[in-house]
Amino acid sequence: MALEITDANFQELVLNSDKPVILDFWAEWCGPCRMVGPVVEEIGREYTGKVVVGKLNVDHNPEVTRKFGIRNIPTLLFFKNGNVVDKQVGAVAKQVIVGKLQGHL
Amino acid sequence: MSYSIDHNRLQQFGSLEFLARQVVEGFIVGLHKSPFHGFSVEFAEHRLYNSGESIKHIDWKLFGRTDKLFVKRFEEETNLRCHLVIDNSSSMYFPVLEKLSIDQPNKITFSIYAAAAIMNLLRRQRDAVGLNVFSEQIEFGSAAKSSSVHFKYLYSELEKMLPPIGAEVRRNTLAAEALHHIADTIHKRSLVVIFSDMFQNHGNSEELFSALQHLRHNKHEVILFHVVDKRQELDFEFENRPYRFIDMESGHQIKVNPLEVKADYSRAVNAFKSELKLKCGQYRIDFVEADINAGFEQVLLPYLLKREKLH
Repeated sequence: MALEITDANFQELVLNSDKPVILDFWAEWCGPCRMVGPVVEEIGREYTGKVVVGKLNVDHNPEVTRKFGIRNIPTLLFFKNGNVVDKQVGAVAKQVIVGKLQGHL
Repeated sequence: MSYSIDHNRLQQFGSLEFLARQVVEGFIVGLHKSPFHGFSVEFAEHRLYNSGESIKHIDWKLFGRTDKLFVKRFEEETNLRCHLVIDNSSSMYFPVLEKLSIDQPNKITFSIYAAAAIMNLLRRQRDAVGLNVFSEQIEFGSAAKSSSVHFKYLYSELEKMLPPIGAEVRRNTLAAEALHHIADTIHKRSLVVIFSDMFQNHGNSEELFSALQHLRHNKHEVILFHVVDKRQELDFEFENRPYRFIDMESGHQIKVNPLEVKADYSRAVNAFKSELKLKCGQYRIDFVEADINAGFEQVLLPYLLKREKLH
């Protein structure tokens, strides 16, 4: 199950994580986000223990959203050791996300 | 004897799709990925509205519900422009057979059938196909179109190449010039499928490779079907008796016992083939080894299946 990331726990769960993190920026009203969401959760299940998968609602967490300049949703940010190492904007196929993830494992 | 394409033989790839591996710039909506973000088919993302931007793509329903101004962005899908390029030089009419058919083909018959089968696939996908035939110069060139009249025209042009040519006809290969010309004239980001034995008698292989690179430089996806008669041209399997070999393109003759030259010949021809393969790998050109004795279905089918798996 993907972690619910908020402005409050972002530092602890994402930046301080010792594993790579995929963070999905989404909103309830966004159709493409609903396509990407299950895919991201599936990847989380497949890579349990290797990768942390989190979801951040852009409506409820404006601070983190603004900090990373998220203007398009869905956006996936790939974090490693607290730094953004990759980014994927828009609804894409699962293998595209997995392909990017493999490069950072 | 009349020579025509047996269309029944082309039908068996019916359920397959032939997709471009990279983005293509077509003119109608189709199956292939386009480099442009359009506002048409696959809804891909919401983007924050920038003030001053056109308001026509704003998601007004969302604005009504939440007061947020977002623009909908779509993944555009388009059709493919495919150019089939066939080498029609004299060497493609090897081996010289009394009775030509698709079960007993020479290299040009093989190429025509394989090209027609690809054309058939693309026609079903409503993709545009163009045909270019070259030897010493471009003998035939057509723009890529997708109308059924155009496809009939291309089939008839292909059929014109089926009859064998006389032994006295000498058509050289100037593949490099032809490919440069094609690279310059066709619409960018097309798919180019080349059928050739790549035997050049003018110029060196560097020119040929630079022509292939030119095609890639213009963002075309290139597939090279290296059409050979493996048994005779690569393995050099002939009986142990003196033969008279004639260069079909220059008419140059040589009398030789095959066994004496087999080792040297194989080495040279294999070196050329591996260089060709290597360069294709470097330029990210799909190199398909097409042995005419294997039958065009056996060459095309594994290749199409492999492509399907990659998507």
